[in-house]
Amino acid sequence: MRNEWQSVLDEIGRNVSDMAFATYFSNLKLASNKNNILTIEVPNVFIKAQIEGKYNPVVIRALKTIGIKYDQIKLTESKTERKTTRRSIEVLPESKPTRKAETHTITSNRLVARDNGLNPKYRFDNYIVGSNNDLAVSAAHAIVEHPGERYNPYFIYGGPGLGKTHLIQAIGNELIKQNPNMKILYVTIEQFYHDFVEAMRKKLDGFTDKYRKLDVLIIDDFQFIVGKEKSQDEFFHTFNELHQKNKQIIVSSDRLPTQIATVDERLSSRLMMGVPIDIQLPDFEVRCAILKSKAELLGVDIENRAIEYLAENIKSNIRDLEGKLNQLLALSELRGVSPSDLIEDGYIEEAIYTKRRVVSPKQLIDKVAKYYNLPSKEILGKSRVKHIKSARQVVMYLLNEELNLSTVRIGTELSKDHSTVIHGIRKIKQDLKLDFSLREQIADLREKIYVS
Amino acid sequence: MEIEITQERLSKALNIVSRVAATTKTGLPILNNVLLRADGNQLSLTATNLELATVDYLAAKIQKSGTITVPAKLLAEFISNLPKNTTINLLAKDGKLVTTAGKYKSTINGIAADDFPELPRIEEKNAVTFKVESSSFHSAITEVIVTSSNDTTRPALTGVYFNTFEKSLYIAATDGYRLSEKKFIEDVTSDVFAVVPTSSLQEVLRSVSDDIDDIEMLFDETQVRFRMGEIEITSKLIDGSFPDYRQLIPKKTDINIELNKAEFTRMTKVAALFARESGGSVICETRADDKTFSISAVASELGENSSAMEANVDSDGKVVLNSRFLIDAIGAIDEDKLNFGFSGKLAPVVIRGAKDKDYTHIIMPLKS
Repeated sequence: MRNEWQSVLDEIGRNVSDMAFATYFSNLKLASNKNNILTIEVPNVFIKAQIEGKYNPVVIRALKTIGIKYDQIKLTESKTERKTTRRSIEVLPESKPTRKAETHTITSNRLVARDNGLNPKYRFDNYIVGSNNDLAVSAAHAIVEHPGERYNPYFIYGGPGLGKTHLIQAIGNELIKQNPNMKILYVTIEQFYHDFVEAMRKKLDGFTDKYRKLDVLIIDDFQFIVGKEKSQDEFFHTFNELHQKNKQIIVSSDRLPTQIATVDERLSSRLMMGVPIDIQLPDFEVRCAILKSKAELLGVDIENRAIEYLAENIKSNIRDLEGKLNQLLALSELRGVSPSDLIEDGYIEEAIYTKRRVVSPKQLIDKVAKYYNLPSKEILGKSRVKHIKSARQVVMYLLNEELNLSTVRIGTELSKDHSTVIHGIRKIKQDLKLDFSLREQIADLREKIYVS
Repeated sequence: MEIEITQERLSKALNIVSRVAATTKTGLPILNNVLLRADGNQLSLTATNLELATVDYLAAKIQKSGTITVPAKLLAEFISNLPKNTTINLLAKDGKLVTTAGKYKSTINGIAADDFPELPRIEEKNAVTFKVESSSFHSAITEVIVTSSNDTTRPALTGVYFNTFEKSLYIAATDGYRLSEKKFIEDVTSDVFAVVPTSSLQEVLRSVSDDIDDIEMLFDETQVRFRMGEIEITSKLIDGSFPDYRQLIPKKTDINIELNKAEFTRMTKVAALFARESGGSVICETRADDKTFSISAVASELGENSSAMEANVDSDGKVVLNSRFLIDAIGAIDEDKLNFGFSGKLAPVVIRGAKDKDYTHIIMPLKS
């Protein structure tokens, strides 16, 4: 076919001037000849206009002379697909604030009855299950099958960017899909609070109706209830009424209700009625799987080496993981360099560690001290009081883990013996395996350290 | 064809249109020509290089409609040398254009209009249309085209990316080492994702005169048309996807300082003199202890240079940048105070005006 196409071009060349040929025809390519449709690639829309208009007879005559049969000629400007829809595909949302803004606008014109606050892009089929979240996911599936029964309330908690929002919205979306008439509402606790205040201020009765007549209430970011006693009360009553009617309640939070300072006992005990399930940071294999599926969705090839490098080095959360992947892919496209070459050149490595670099040992010590309500000088001092000592060990652990300081260096920072430091770090590592609240504290501190 | 028109109007139009003529590589003679078409009460002048076409529609006294093409540059220069305020008579006859203006007369050999390329049509109904004040068009385009590339092996980077994001139209350009983005038009209702050749935009910029208030942009799948007053410039779009650049704009940077533009420019230019040997690389440093921002360069043969200015800075930091890129970036921002933000040695550096947050300029650091 290619040879025949060349003959067609030669034939055209005999019928037009050399310059005209060079201008209009030299870059024409035969893209395909399927089902008697000849597809010819043209460099741009201007050339296309000439071939379609003025030179149409010349092309047809040449095709006839060479003996190519066809029903139709199609001219196309491009081979690459224009307007790649890449940006619209996401496994997880890029950032929370935009999502909040969305739900906000949705609920603000709440006259539309079917506005349930759910974002359809959060589904089970794009949620990656691993040992970090399999419990939460199987419970979620159980809820979809029997809402309001076994896991009620369904309380999940875990650090930011681990996929809590995705999971609870996936439950909502799946329920709607299976029971289109179900009344479901997804709101953040802040939205709940705003609704409540608004209703109070304007003396509207809609509030009770809106929340207490639901079949499923999904509350996100429950931890922000801090300092909103009035709405806590209201939430308590809403909770009771729904729960009594066996309506499903789904709550996500970054920590257990008992760990949220201002939540009173009657509410926290109710939230703890169903078994709270935590979502952890996915392990290495799951992180790889997440990256791979994301790359697949984006339709890009990325070397395993690059994926493993990212999975190995980004341990904060899934949002960061995906963010870094996006960044790497964009940079690779921009530079025309493959992702793994970029990593070899050190670009991504630097980007990962820049975050850490900003924190000085002193800042870290101050932050830990503040977290435990201790003066920094106690941490740096010699006190052997238990809670001070364990705070000091946390400092050692974090200096080692987060700032990559050597044990000797940590010793100098804290004016402690090098072996004391080794012992301290080992102690925390051991305790982490068993002590649940310590794990929470460390996770909290990690957050605090990097949020300036 | 026979028409009458004033020298000033014809000359101005020819100057704009003729720039496009005779710029193709193959040198097809007809592409050196301008197409004159007299129809109704309007004379249109058209030239194209098959990537871009400029048309100027002029009101004229048409005695007889018709068409002809003649070498654009020759006609433009001839008309521009005629005395102002004269009325010019153009008469096309036997493939020749006879021009008479008082005592001046010329006959130019033309080519029949049939050979002139047909211009692609744009379905105005289906096109995505935006309208913008010409002054803001001018400043926005000028701000971003500095970072566009002229490396033709990566075609998408030789253009400016028009893209809608969260209901605003953004424009962006990058050469792989730096990047700039401008929020161009807010509250747009339709989406567009198109790469417009930088050369076409430059042509549009050159053609905008002070008396034009608004520029209308019409996009379809493969072309874009800029309509401003009597002029219409139609350009092909660049085929190929533009990098997902938004990922590369840091959401925040660790060290952020406000700098006086004039001083910043001077320091960079001075350092650049000593940076020639090192490929233009200069070292930007902040120091918390004496609250300074400094730029320095070392040329082992020539000597070295370092200048510092006061800056409200809380931490030490260092980044190595190409001084030429830095000068371009500072120059692109029309404000007295600039924000300079960076984090670490290899994370992108962000430069913005202190007030206008719609424009973002990013430079990738050099490895030191």
